[in-house]
Amino acid sequence: MARILLKGISKTFKDETVIQDLNLEIKDGSFTVLVGPSGCGKSTTLRMVAGLEKQSGGEIWIDDTCVNDTPPGMRDVAMVFQNYALYPTMTVRGNIEFGLKNRGVPRNERDQLVKDISEIVGLAPFLDKKPQSLSGGQRQRVALARAMVKKPKVFILDEPLSNLDAKLRNQMRTELIQLHKRLGTTFVYVTHDQVEAMSMGDEIVVMNKGAIQQADSPMKLYQDPANLFTAQFIGTPAMNIMNLQDMKGLDIRSDRPVGHVGFRPEQGILNPDRPVEGLVLKGEIVTRESLGAENIYQIRSEAGMFFVKTFLKPLESADTVQVAIPHDQLYYFGKDGGRVYGAGLQERLLVAGGAVV
Amino acid sequence: MTLWHKLRPYGMVAPSIIIFSLFFIYPIFYMMYLSLFDWNFISPTKTFVGIQNFVDLLSEPEFRQVLSNTTVYTVLTVALTTGLSLLLALWLNRGHFLYGIVQGAIFSPHIISLVSISLLWSWLMDPEYGLLNWVIGLFGFGKLQWLSHPSTSLISLVIVAVWKGIGYNTLVFIAGLQSIPADIYEAASLDRSKPWTTFTKLILPMLSPTIFFLVIINMIGSFQVFETIAIMTQGGPVNSTNTLVYYIYEYGFRFFKIGYASAAGVILLVIVGILTLVYFKLLSNRVHYR
Amino acid sequence: MKAANRAIEGPIRAAAGSPMNGVRTKRALLRIIMNVVLRLVNAAGLLLLVLIFALPFIWMLSTSLKTLPETMIFPPEWIPSHPVWKNYIDAWNTGPFLHYITNSVIISVSILLLQMLTIIPASYAFARYKFAGSGFLFSIVMVTLMIPSQLIFLPVYLELSAFKLLNTHLGLILPFASSAFGIFLLRQAFRQISDELIEAARLDQAKEWKIIARIMVPMVKPVLVTFALFSFIAHWNDYFWPLVMTTNETARTLPIGIAKIREVEGVGTWNILMAGNVILVAPILVVFFLSQRQIIKAFVYNGVK
Repeated sequence: MARILLKGISKTFKDETVIQDLNLEIKDGSFTVLVGPSGCGKSTTLRMVAGLEKQSGGEIWIDDTCVNDTPPGMRDVAMVFQNYALYPTMTVRGNIEFGLKNRGVPRNERDQLVKDISEIVGLAPFLDKKPQSLSGGQRQRVALARAMVKKPKVFILDEPLSNLDAKLRNQMRTELIQLHKRLGTTFVYVTHDQVEAMSMGDEIVVMNKGAIQQADSPMKLYQDPANLFTAQFIGTPAMNIMNLQDMKGLDIRSDRPVGHVGFRPEQGILNPDRPVEGLVLKGEIVTRESLGAENIYQIRSEAGMFFVKTFLKPLESADTVQVAIPHDQLYYFGKDGGRVYGAGLQERLLVAGGAVV
Repeated sequence: MTLWHKLRPYGMVAPSIIIFSLFFIYPIFYMMYLSLFDWNFISPTKTFVGIQNFVDLLSEPEFRQVLSNTTVYTVLTVALTTGLSLLLALWLNRGHFLYGIVQGAIFSPHIISLVSISLLWSWLMDPEYGLLNWVIGLFGFGKLQWLSHPSTSLISLVIVAVWKGIGYNTLVFIAGLQSIPADIYEAASLDRSKPWTTFTKLILPMLSPTIFFLVIINMIGSFQVFETIAIMTQGGPVNSTNTLVYYIYEYGFRFFKIGYASAAGVILLVIVGILTLVYFKLLSNRVHYR
Repeated sequence: MKAANRAIEGPIRAAAGSPMNGVRTKRALLRIIMNVVLRLVNAAGLLLLVLIFALPFIWMLSTSLKTLPETMIFPPEWIPSHPVWKNYIDAWNTGPFLHYITNSVIISVSILLLQMLTIIPASYAFARYKFAGSGFLFSIVMVTLMIPSQLIFLPVYLELSAFKLLNTHLGLILPFASSAFGIFLLRQAFRQISDELIEAARLDQAKEWKIIARIMVPMVKPVLVTFALFSFIAHWNDYFWPLVMTTNETARTLPIGIAKIREVEGVGTWNILMAGNVILVAPILVVFFLSQRQIIKAFVYNGVK
């Protein structure tokens, strides 16, 4: 268990600066997920914590020690690689005990540790097999076992589930969460899948272009995004963002100029039977997707295209609809993408394509 | 399926199969047949002598020396070439373009004809005026006889063979090293593996198919050495560099003892055959771990 | 020096007042020096390596421009006082070199063309058709692959002699009109093409030969190019086979011509011999340096299969 601190981290590859002045605290015992699109710097950050990549500037602290000059093996960090990186010429047992051997752990202690760990991950019958005769899920468990047996302060996982099929992925997701609860070690997890991030992490760090967009709990990210990127990154389908200039005549009072207005598809009420206090948009349904419990509608309005998601309601057959979004479900963003807090619609103003009630 | 469809594949492979049968398969059997006869190529009759040729060969001290020469040459060449090129590969396996130039330089002898190399090294190893003696002179050594003395002649040929072959072997090793994924090295470093441990426990085992491949083809190639001997030493001095293929050549084309030469050829066939079988056996045993 | 300064400042700031201060800075300085020394040694090693391979060629060139007495100076001199270009003319005149080159070209090119014609259909058939006996026939190919020319030259000589093919171009070309190695390579390449591609072509009503010629062959072009390179160089450089299969000059090739310079000019006329060698080596070296990457890739990656 350890707390990780990244202070003013920057990383340059040849002439390109991929990360600039990154500051992050990863709490002791947390399951922190770094999430973001490809190339956002999440894997690079992870590797810098492990020591596999040397930062160009800044400091990395694990607990109370600055590990800038500590080699990877000595940081008490264990890693599960995306492609598992199992030693192909060794058996499962050999893979797991390799690190222990290098630390001079005596034979009987090693055997015991290997035995224990293989029971925890369910690898006991495979100990003498080589990696190429194992399935993807089994290989992943070996990678896990190899990391766990070292009893590290920090567990680092670099997109460990991305090579598994969907069913296995879901299964492993719950197993990893349970593992974290059981071990209590700090987990740092990297993924590009926001659904995976939201379901696993207790602290999510959303990254883009080498910078942290927002670091918060899943709920806060969902309910209170700090900027356009985070708002659009979390949620399926993504938050609807309309440009203010497309919404003719909408009058907003705020401290800063507003550039965009957003709302989540699941918060839009389709053809409300009761009057709703908020923004009302009139539009035409372009496509309907019925996924059983939920329906997703793509609607064209004068303010632009947007999505609405409904739960457990019959499929709307009408072509022209009204969508109402309550005041408190409207999000306002400045032209620079940052969130504008404390903004709201002026009362009682008629809007072409929409009306304020 | 029409008759045309059925016959078509046979038509497609026929030319090649015919060529191979005529010029590769049949000759093997013909050679085995000839080894049982005594024939001087000119006379119309062949005298059947059964296994006498083999008996003569194996009791002939000249042939025993030839076998010994060939074996020593092969062992030295293979050991030096494979060993040195592995070391070179570990050193030169960098992406920087300067290393690319060095790799190109050591590879250049591979595509040049063995004739040119033999002629060049004959000159380099000239006892009186050769460059090699000048180079070792810089280090304080006296002139060596190189190819002209029975005690140094075989080693000189080994040097030439290593010089020619090391580039190719090194580059094959480099390709093998590069096929090892980077994250294996990273996992090893996280496992606190020291460089020597990583090399012996991870890299060498992963390279073992490549090592076997190179050892076998180097061995097969060395057993068949001819050009360098034909041009540089003609088997001498005093039979010290006479090797199997040259021996067959001499007895077949110089002395016209066709049956005798064929018998030697059969022995070469057996050796090469065994080596090939060993290679395939090892190949199928070595599990491919991709 | 900046790096050294930074290395010294750091430890000083970090451990202000610590008694280990002096040792830390000394250690940092030592590390810098070790680093530089190592780099120098590495560079020297690389240079030495390049020299081991470049010097012989340079020496060859140097010798080729000397007079005979100049070759006998020991310790040797690198640059001759007056380059003797005449050596090249003499080398050229020791034998019918134009004739040799022509033969080399005819034979190497013919072999390559014939190989293309034979290996493409054969490897395609082995790769994509099921026919009775294909296993047996392919094993013939594999066995041939394992048989080196040095093993069978004697019986083949006798064969060619019986068919009066000695000393003919045909006799030097025919045994190599197909290539087991080529079939092996190409078959592997054809096998890697997905079935769906062929099925799509068949749905387009394409005739079989059209499928092969217009779709399949272009897809394996890299392998074909690689093989062509391999084959051409191997046969161009071949000394052994033409030597054994010819008893007169009719069909003799360049490598034999070069080796024969010794017989004509006498053993020990190294200057003319090296001139002849340069003639033989220069074209290949030039081609090599122009397309180094390609050639190396061809030879190396076809070995590691």
